[in-house]
Amino acid sequence: MLEVSGISAFYGKHRALDGVSLNVERGEIVVILGANGAGKTTLLNAVAGVVHAEPGARIAISGKDSAVRELSGMPAHAIVEAGIALVPEGRGIFGELTVRENLLLGAYPPRARANEAANLDMVLGLFPRLQERLKQTVRTMSGGEQQMVAIGRALMSAPDVLLLDEPSLGLSPIMCGELFHILARIRQSGLGILLVEQNARQSLAIADRGYIIANGRIVGSGTAEALKTDPAVQRAYLGAGEVKA
Amino acid sequence: MTLTLDILLSGLVLGGMYALIALGLTLQYGIARIINLSYGEFLIAAAFGALFLYTGMAVNPILGMIVVVPAAFVSNWLLYQVVLMPLVRRAKNQGMLEVDSILGTFGVLFVIQGVMLVTFGGSLQSYSYLSVPVYILGTTLALNRILALVFALIIGGVLYLFLTRTRYGTALRAVAVNPAAAQLTGIDIRAASALAFATGGAIVGAGGVLISMFLTFSAAMGVVFTMKALIVVIMGGIGNMLGALIAGVLLGISETAVARLVDPGLTIAVTYALFLGVLLWRPTGLFGRPAR
Repeated sequence: MLEVSGISAFYGKHRALDGVSLNVERGEIVVILGANGAGKTTLLNAVAGVVHAEPGARIAISGKDSAVRELSGMPAHAIVEAGIALVPEGRGIFGELTVRENLLLGAYPPRARANEAANLDMVLGLFPRLQERLKQTVRTMSGGEQQMVAIGRALMSAPDVLLLDEPSLGLSPIMCGELFHILARIRQSGLGILLVEQNARQSLAIADRGYIIANGRIVGSGTAEALKTDPAVQRAYLGAGEVKA
Repeated sequence: MTLTLDILLSGLVLGGMYALIALGLTLQYGIARIINLSYGEFLIAAAFGALFLYTGMAVNPILGMIVVVPAAFVSNWLLYQVVLMPLVRRAKNQGMLEVDSILGTFGVLFVIQGVMLVTFGGSLQSYSYLSVPVYILGTTLALNRILALVFALIIGGVLYLFLTRTRYGTALRAVAVNPAAAQLTGIDIRAASALAFATGGAIVGAGGVLISMFLTFSAAMGVVFTMKALIVVIMGGIGNMLGALIAGVLLGISETAVARLVDPGLTIAVTYALFLGVLLWRPTGLFGRPAR
């Protein structure tokens, strides 16, 4: 569904991404694991068109109509219209606006307007807590509720692929568990989810596949089951470093 | 008593004009992130447009707005696309765009002012339209002032409804609040900025027509209105429409009171004293939130 190949990006002279390739299929959760500064956020931002990717990259999406659209070089707002929604690090919500306004702005892309009301019902079904807070200013809400608004707004654009950058950051363990549970439910509707997470244990528990990224390159990949039992992954991301084999 | 009422009514009309033109500047600065020093020139240009239409072609100013306001919209849209877009493209952050736009529009100010001086000369201009007294609670107010206030209220009200009740208006507010996130909801920020800048220009054009109905003006007066609009925007709290409304009315009434009771030459001094006072008391404006 989402095909990325040979994507590179620079911050000044620093090469943040070096020829990264990956794919996400329908109804699949794919997690990207890696240390801080490995290029995870840059990768999502480059796919979403927020960060400029070097020429030669190929980013393609095939939506429900299975027509393939080439996205590299397109501006961020056009990529949303093509069916990729990013929930950025730090959520990127409109703090001064109400929950309802935030959610309805999610349906701003023309692709989402026809099903706006149905999608709003779907989002409020996923996050019942937002139902009673539709008129509240988002800035005054808790971190977990703001994350719900951010994910809800992304879903309002009726995406084919959802990109999530550290959605569990700053959430309580209970909120965190709830969040991963909801992501698993979102997958059932056929979306592809590409997830960047620090929380390797919980994300691998719901993911189908994963990639390991280091210094801007993909250094490993496999099914979630295989990654969970991989000694290198366990050492680096699952806190098994102290255990001697 | 009559004098007090007289000052309040005249001050309200003037303040309504200040609030209206501050709304336009809020759109240009809050959404397009351009500090437009040539803002007041469009007000004067619109005033000359109304004068020309009324004295030259016998088109009354209210009807004249049908021509002048779209012209102001289009010329501001072109100003943004042609002159300011290169600055937007090269700006690495908001601060850089603000500094560049101050310098760029400072130049535009002199171009427009120069053209107006050559075309219309530097003398004070005015025309008489509906300057008949209307009796209100024992005092009088010219009909053209009442009409100006009514139209300012209508334009402000329509703008408010547009920004809060429509999809495109909400999108503009989203760009003002968080431009980085706005593009992630599929909003084309540059198109939205151009629209906001042009709408701000249309509002100052309408303001120019309304003000020309009861104030004398000259080709060199644009900068006065730019400064007053900036002061009202900053006093009200940047990006706050209600704040701009109250600050505008406050400024209008203070200026009128001092002009009537003390000396008309002191109005500019009052403007800046009020401005300074508000900023010392509340650095982010009457309704501005403290900086994080």
